[in-house]
Amino acid sequence: MTTRSTQLLVIGGGATGLGVAWDACLRGLSVTLVEQGDLGQGTSGRYHGLLHSGGRYVLSDPASAADCRRENALLRRLIPHAIEPTGGFFVSTQADSPEYADEWLVACGRLELPVDEIGPATALQREPLLTPRLTRVFEVQDAALDSFDLLHALARGVTQAGGTVLLRHRVSGLVPHGGGLLARIVSHGDESAFQLEAQYVVNAAGPFAGAVAAMAGVRLPLALGKGTMVAMASRLTHTVLNRCKPPHDGDIIVPVGTVCILGTTDVPVRSPTDLAMEAWEIDLLLSEGQVLIPTLRRHRALRAWAGIRALYRPAADRASHPGGDRASSRLGTPEGHPGGDRGATRTLPRAHVLVDHASTDGVPGLVSIIGGKLTTYRKMAEDVVDHVAALSRVKQPCRTASTPLPAAESRHYALDSRPIRLRSASPVDSSIVCECELVSRPDIEDALRQSGSADLDDLRRDLRLGMGPCQGAFCAYRAAAVAARLLSDPPADGGLAAFAQERWRGLRPLAWGRGLRQAEMLRRVQVELLGAASATADDG
Amino acid sequence: MSKSLLVIGAGLAGLFASVLAARRGASVRLIAEGRGGLALSHGCIDLWRDGELRFSLARLDRSHPLRLAGWPALESAFAAFLEIMHEARLPFAGSLDRVWRLPTALGATHITSGAPVSLASGTLDDPEPISIGNLPALRDFSAELVAAGLRSQGVDVRGIVELELPQPRSPRDLYPQEIADLFDDPDYRAQVVSAWKPKLRGVRRLGLPAVLGRDRALEAFASLEQDLGVAPFEIPTLPPSVPGLRIERALRRLAVEAGVDLIEGPSVRGEVDGRSAGKRVSGAVGATAGGPRGYRAHAVLLATGGALHGGWLSFANGEVQEAVFGLPIETSEDREDWAAPTLYQEQPFARLGLRVDARFRPCDRRGRPFFENLFAAGGLVAGSDRTFEGSRQGIDLASAFAAVEAALS
Repeated sequence: MTTRSTQLLVIGGGATGLGVAWDACLRGLSVTLVEQGDLGQGTSGRYHGLLHSGGRYVLSDPASAADCRRENALLRRLIPHAIEPTGGFFVSTQADSPEYADEWLVACGRLELPVDEIGPATALQREPLLTPRLTRVFEVQDAALDSFDLLHALARGVTQAGGTVLLRHRVSGLVPHGGGLLARIVSHGDESAFQLEAQYVVNAAGPFAGAVAAMAGVRLPLALGKGTMVAMASRLTHTVLNRCKPPHDGDIIVPVGTVCILGTTDVPVRSPTDLAMEAWEIDLLLSEGQVLIPTLRRHRALRAWAGIRALYRPAADRASHPGGDRASSRLGTPEGHPGGDRGATRTLPRAHVLVDHASTDGVPGLVSIIGGKLTTYRKMAEDVVDHVAALSRVKQPCRTASTPLPAAESRHYALDSRPIRLRSASPVDSSIVCECELVSRPDIEDALRQSGSADLDDLRRDLRLGMGPCQGAFCAYRAAAVAARLLSDPPADGGLAAFAQERWRGLRPLAWGRGLRQAEMLRRVQVELLGAASATADDG
Repeated sequence: MSKSLLVIGAGLAGLFASVLAARRGASVRLIAEGRGGLALSHGCIDLWRDGELRFSLARLDRSHPLRLAGWPALESAFAAFLEIMHEARLPFAGSLDRVWRLPTALGATHITSGAPVSLASGTLDDPEPISIGNLPALRDFSAELVAAGLRSQGVDVRGIVELELPQPRSPRDLYPQEIADLFDDPDYRAQVVSAWKPKLRGVRRLGLPAVLGRDRALEAFASLEQDLGVAPFEIPTLPPSVPGLRIERALRRLAVEAGVDLIEGPSVRGEVDGRSAGKRVSGAVGATAGGPRGYRAHAVLLATGGALHGGWLSFANGEVQEAVFGLPIETSEDREDWAAPTLYQEQPFARLGLRVDARFRPCDRRGRPFFENLFAAGGLVAGSDRTFEGSRQGIDLASAFAAVEAALS
């Protein structure tokens, strides 16, 4: 087995890990980042798309709110191509406590958060679908942040700065080694392995951070919370809508691209792969969304998904959060919902925590970073790299606050430029594979050449393939056809069965009314017409 | 006076029932809000995915539509359909006692009981090696995926032949039925033959996407077979699926020729006969462009489809309701369990639909019909997951046949 070396190994290719890698590269460290899946496959790609103004946290967590305010302003300058400045409303309805709005406004003032109170009439003029039962509306600096775009930009920045980003690689061993650590890294593609000597390892694996730490013999107590979200098939609002009330399940609607996202629930779970969505979560998101947009249920819900957030919860903290105990029998049950927040990770501080395992566990060189929010990924990364830099006597200060991220050259995963490119392309190059998201055959060919992966789900994350109204019923086969033509050794079914199953997972929680008809359309095409079958069915 | 029948729904069950009833002398009106499901059909007659059914029919649940129809009705329906298709110059190869194993566009095996001759020629039981033709202009068919899938099943696939369509490139993507329309034209086929023939040396059997003609598919297929000097066969593509559209066009034509009054577009609401003490229906009211219009008939046949096509509506609270008469539909599962965790399992929601009695009349749990003269056929009838069973068209034909029998008796 070959052995390579790096100064810094970052485990986890979400916003945190990539942010750490980018920061460290700018300070001149040699960096290798290992991500077990694809960009955006984990928690960073499974969120609601909100760049927080900070308004959400002014009362519950003022420090986080101040971080959000600063980072929001910075990111608008550093990565403008990934941000849509939608603005946001905090909306107080007749159902909400008027005192809360007063307190909230005072707290915003204390933190110097820019807030404009606008009249309900103005708000309704701008967002006609908003409930007329408004009492007060406050405008804040919320925005929509495309995390796929952010992750691609970070990965590109790391690579351009001389760092290495290894996607679809996992760390299968991590042991102390000559003052640093020795990692065994395995490629998911061909299962080939190599060893990597690292002076420092940053564990930024999110919900998988516990498993990473365990490889080094370290126990990292985490509280895992699952958040479920629903995407509505159309953009019912152009402004982020927040309920002006204490943070709770289903209190936000974020317009992102062609859809809008209802978020989120917060359910304690045991495992980082426990992404199953429950009917009560969907019902709750839709009925809470209906408070903001009364006609919500007349519109089609497109898809549901869940992400897992990990928060640090050392033993001393347990007594105050009994419901989050990993051994508790009520984990993952809807008991107490809606209304109760017992056991939800929402009640834990959202601020990130940095654990240096040299001091806590006697494993020098290993640092874990847990928690935080996508909005503050840059600040978290700065803290981590400051810490590592101090250990390694690197003098360079953090530069990420003043260095813009490289824009992805073509933004090929975004819808906005596609109609223009299609119009200027020759007929043969304008063949459209995915009609919902306007993905052309050359888009797919480029993505296949760049990523080297024929996995349709990787193409989806690169191109939004199959993320529109038909959810892959038609385009998945066409995309598999393009891949089969380009690649020498495509899988026997072009990867269609696995992809269709992934789409099914997000349609299933919404399987009634029109959502059920769409799900059945997917099944008719994939199973009945094409004969896609799961591997297990083949065995039988 | 002849009996009048109002058929609602223009999928396979509704069209087939209309033709049958009109040919038996009934005065038939067919009203459909949408296009019906045939554009989503591979154009074959699936009866049972495991093949043999004659002797295992009695093992099906009592409420399964095939068991309710019974073997004699299924046999008669199947024979009548094949005869009608023969008459429409869309001949089928089929039998209820054997199965055809045909390739799909993914190179999987589709098990069916009846197929148009152009599709049946692709039987995987023929050991002769095959080649697959790739039409670069058609994004809805992949020769590579067909070849890879078939090879993984041990089928002898010799290779892929690139076959350009002889026509100026379209500024946009072509749909399968647009190419099919080109093949209806003998002059176009002559151009195809001269362009393709040099590339087919040594090819014996040639698999092509199912785009070889729409209204003149038989003529197109026979002439290509003769002039190309190979044994071609067709493989259904993504929807809109041409083999399904051929059946749709043929049945519509025959229906109109048999005197069926075909009304397309309006959504319909069922009407109960006010003088019957709620025992009979009188017809339906259609929301036409000119306002509501009543359509009265001695009997009404609902062929409005199942989960996909809107024959029943379902709601977030778990309620399910038949769409035209608002009949209640029972569900035993919670809404959460309607769809199974994996796409490839049997789906509880697919079994939802109207419970019917032995005469295919919608009935309550105790078997009492809601109305004396209201009938149901096709996907609207409860009790089977037709995708999972591979029983879709068998149920359409058998239930339509049985319902027409009952409605006209």
